Amino acid sequence: MAEYGPFEMIAYTGSRVLEDETIVFVGTGLPIIASMHAQLTHAPNLNMIFEAGSLGAVLEQGLPLSVGDTRAFRKAVYAKGLCGAFELTQRGYADYAFIGGAQIDMHGNINSHFEGGTYSKPGVRFPGSGGAGAMAANCEKTIAIMALEKRRFVEKLDFVTSIGFGDGEPDYRRKAGVMGSGPYRVITNQALFGFDEETRRMMLLEVLPGKTAEDIQELVSFELLISPDLTDMKEPTDEDLRLLREECDPEGYFLKRKVAK
Amino acid sequence: MDKLMKSSDIRNITGLQPDEIKKKGQEPFEYWGPTPFEARKAAVAKEKGLHDKRTTLKEAVDKYIKDGMNLGIGGFVNTRVPVSIIHEIIRKGVKDLTLSFQSTSLCAELLAGAMIVDPDHVSIKRVELSWWGYEVIGIAPLFRYLVTNGMIQLDDYTNYGMSVRFKAAAMGIPFIPTRDHGGSDMELVNRGRMIECPFTKEDVYLVPACHPDVGIIHVPVADMYGNSRIFGAHCTCPEIAVAAAHTIVTTEQIIPTDNIRKYPNLTEIPYPAVDALIEQPFGGYPGACYGYYWFDMPEFQEFRGISDEFRKTGNKDKLKKYYDKYIFGCETFDDFLATRPYNKLKELRQMDGVQPILID
Repeated sequence: MAEYGPFEMIAYTGSRVLEDETIVFVGTGLPIIASMHAQLTHAPNLNMIFEAGSLGAVLEQGLPLSVGDTRAFRKAVYAKGLCGAFELTQRGYADYAFIGGAQIDMHGNINSHFEGGTYSKPGVRFPGSGGAGAMAANCEKTIAIMALEKRRFVEKLDFVTSIGFGDGEPDYRRKAGVMGSGPYRVITNQALFGFDEETRRMMLLEVLPGKTAEDIQELVSFELLISPDLTDMKEPTDEDLRLLREECDPEGYFLKRKVAK
Repeated sequence: MDKLMKSSDIRNITGLQPDEIKKKGQEPFEYWGPTPFEARKAAVAKEKGLHDKRTTLKEAVDKYIKDGMNLGIGGFVNTRVPVSIIHEIIRKGVKDLTLSFQSTSLCAELLAGAMIVDPDHVSIKRVELSWWGYEVIGIAPLFRYLVTNGMIQLDDYTNYGMSVRFKAAAMGIPFIPTRDHGGSDMELVNRGRMIECPFTKEDVYLVPACHPDVGIIHVPVADMYGNSRIFGAHCTCPEIAVAAAHTIVTTEQIIPTDNIRKYPNLTEIPYPAVDALIEQPFGGYPGACYGYYWFDMPEFQEFRGISDEFRKTGNKDKLKKYYDKYIFGCETFDDFLATRPYNKLKELRQMDGVQPILID
């Protein structure tokens, strides 16, 4: 088995989660790489929406470095603005959202506003919702990419930016007035999570080969549900790695980033 | 509590302080710029003929930018951002601004830096926004500095929320229903509200229209009357231009009106919404402008680096030097561009990759 980096594992897992004949609403970086890899392998008729307003772009000029990058509009089949992208989504034409954030809780709610202090005088302020809050509300299924750390997988968020299953009650999302069905997968480099249908709590589905459920629980502040069918995460083949490195991110902008600390 | 008002179950999971949540119910709603009625009056008062709107940045900014106003910033993060207008606004100086935008980077950071360097010359009072940062380049250090020090008031929406607030204003309606914000803490702190839909009887979240006093927009091409075409991402520029009481547009290139009349479907901003037009090549630099140039990442990194150093050390010297040299030390945006090597600008044009645009 070939050697691969943590970001390559995340991108590969993201690709595996996406099905063909769907539209995926992507953010910058790994979501685009995951979607490109899916297009090159099992999902040739998958298309991407970029929030600045393009649908079905052909990323032949290299990886867009921003969701508003002019490259994200190359040979698109539809190009408008943010209203165009989000209204297609609100209408039901975006199957997947790829989002991230600073903190996630057991019901898949995500914080990307602030940590510590108060809303009006936070300890650390992050950029804000951006597209994430709207994508989590109205794409059909939300896929979160997170760093697997105790301080990020928390009991209670400092701020709920992107709606997940809220308090876990069956009617939380309906009472919130949102349209999408909610959290679907949480991808990290060491584990893939889903959500239990009954309790809408995060459930460990797959672990990195060599890791155990206990190893993953150690990195999460809340109690995880463990799937009765827990398996190892599938590892990328040499061909997958070639596609990721040579076709998807040849400059290594996102796949070759150094992991913090 | 009025009887229309509903709520999701966000209170079951919120981590916000009770006194912060209470604020929303206590303070009467107020538009942070012209009301729909005032914005309508501004539109009605305009001369509606086709007039040559071409002017200089200095004249446009002198005429329209005033203390206490709501400034609507066009573009999206690093794309088609109205940097040349921001430079001129900083040169002139303006206080107690309200900023409105969906997602932006350098434009808002430049205003924030000007405030840090001399708050008696430029100051921001509050911001209605979705996102403020540099994306792949990093967080916005001056935004973080102002917010964590409690120096500006924020009103947070999603990117769709801010975009559709401009759209509602552009449609001439006072609010618009959305399918987001509900069930998040934005429901508890922003100025939207949840109601029961009179038709479906389900909860739906309303956001107020956002009419800036002045919208600032950079477009690829326009005719001399201000009819503007936009290629690549429209961002929320057509909506902001029509929503604003007055709009200043910079354009890469002026094209003949005959061309506009040939393909009127391509006009994204119609002339009555444009009050001042400036032909300013590279007007979005260091941001990207589809069909003209890609963005200049090292240039963003340079200003961000200086900003982050200030945030970490509190020393304003380098920041002040930047403004003295590149903004106050320049009379025009062309003077600023002249400080950048020609080869660098040429390379950015090449990096655009000849995105196809239609200017006939």
